[in-house]
Amino acid sequence: MQERFRLDGKVVLVTGGGRGLGRGMAHALAAAGAQVMLAARTQEQLDATVQEIRDAGGIASSFRADVTDSAQVDAMIDACIAEFGGLDVVFANAGIGGGTDAEFWDYPDWAFDEVVKINLNSAVYTCRAATKAMIERGTGGVLVVTSSVAAYRASRRWAYAVAKGGVLSLMKVLSGLLAPHNIRVNCITPGVVSQRDVRDEREQAEWDQRGSFFPVKRLGEWWEMGPLAVYLASDASAYVTGQDFLIDGGMVNAGIAPMSYRPHHEI
Amino acid sequence: MPPQARYFDLTGKKAMVVGADNPAGGAIARAYAEAGADVALCALTADEAVMRARAVRRDIESLGRKATEYVMDVTLGKNVQVTTRQIAKEMGGLDIVACAPDLFLGKPIERTTDSELARVMQVNFASQYFVVRTAAEEFRRDHRPGRITLVTSVIGERSMIDTTAYAAAHGAVYSLVRAAAHELAGEGIRVNAISLGWMDYMDDRIDESENGKRAKRFPMLRRLGHADDIGGTAVWLASDFGADYIVGEIIAVDGGLLQHQ
Repeated sequence: MQERFRLDGKVVLVTGGGRGLGRGMAHALAAAGAQVMLAARTQEQLDATVQEIRDAGGIASSFRADVTDSAQVDAMIDACIAEFGGLDVVFANAGIGGGTDAEFWDYPDWAFDEVVKINLNSAVYTCRAATKAMIERGTGGVLVVTSSVAAYRASRRWAYAVAKGGVLSLMKVLSGLLAPHNIRVNCITPGVVSQRDVRDEREQAEWDQRGSFFPVKRLGEWWEMGPLAVYLASDASAYVTGQDFLIDGGMVNAGIAPMSYRPHHEI
Repeated sequence: MPPQARYFDLTGKKAMVVGADNPAGGAIARAYAEAGADVALCALTADEAVMRARAVRRDIESLGRKATEYVMDVTLGKNVQVTTRQIAKEMGGLDIVACAPDLFLGKPIERTTDSELARVMQVNFASQYFVVRTAAEEFRRDHRPGRITLVTSVIGERSMIDTTAYAAAHGAVYSLVRAAAHELAGEGIRVNAISLGWMDYMDDRIDESENGKRAKRFPMLRRLGHADDIGGTAVWLASDFGADYIVGEIIAVDGGLLQHQ
């Protein structure tokens, strides 16, 4: 059974792999035996994560790329194949808020374009370039990463939600398009998750306070996407495709009333 | 950050699988054992079901793990409670519980009798309710962060003609997972489910008629599921670190069937 979760010999590419959830997934994927290629814009963060993985005995390399530029994305896939001899699984993970805090009606065009470019165009470019390589090999896996904001609510970050909703649709479209090529496509949807270890007691208290509103009474931790990433990249999920994996400590499920509400009504 | 080597490790865990006599339960029991757990195998009836559970036991013992078979009448809450207590005592506690009963009824609504409806609801739904209730009691007693995984069907969220009783029972299981997950999450107990699509052993609902054959081509992966396809997801959901932040989720192991429109 354990070997089904192993990724030995597989080449996995993680965009946005220098920090946060991408870093957490990269650590777990490497520990499961994968050769991990990390891509991001900030070379220092890439270097640090690659070093952490190598120090733990894993295989990792990095490529500096701005995934909103399709030429750079194509170069990133070429570099991955050149270095590791192929590409088995891609995590289109890159994406951050961007834009402005403006209300829907006041939102400037440039800001909307920026948010969509960062979150949706990047995922399209990454999946397009990566799956071209996979189709030739006749196997592969694609994971896109979105946010519970996308599917369930939008507040001031509405543009981000719209872009991430597009990523979810991209997953659904690709799962149908790529199933005949034996390429599985799934989505990871994190709820409220820390991007790094806690810094001090004051911050811990702040996170505990936010986490108290969720059924599990805590925020997710940055590394907790790791085991989910390994499961979805591995043969343990060989019959799983077209699915959205919510990892939110029960936040969305409990979303229709205050967390601790206990109605009492006798009949 | 816990040791990554232990993400999917069940070494030393005590597991109970209700419905180990059917292909899904048997596959889950084998997978738990392969991941390192000892497993109590509960057959739902005292007939040939016990023999099927015994075959699972032999497989598990050949892996060097402990396994024992029991008979559990899942339609009686008291029987579920007493048998579970006995299992927990004999195994020295309980960490993981899976429940995979499955009784399919395919019949038009106007011909479905009161007793058929009651039976379908009992075996498919009430059994799961009893198992969650009892498992939570056992986990609480020992202050263990228990894992509960229910096995249900995509018919619980999508419709098919002549499945009203079965669909309603599994729809109830879907709601049970979400409600119980919320209620028990604060105590460290995780409740999730695996929802099955069309499996190669389901000749009770996917027959050899023309439409039955067409249904087999509905999963996006263009094949029926094998019992063996369930194990990886079951182990992941049952592990200490691999899925501790997954709560009230229903994971479709269906080859993409739910994406079919």
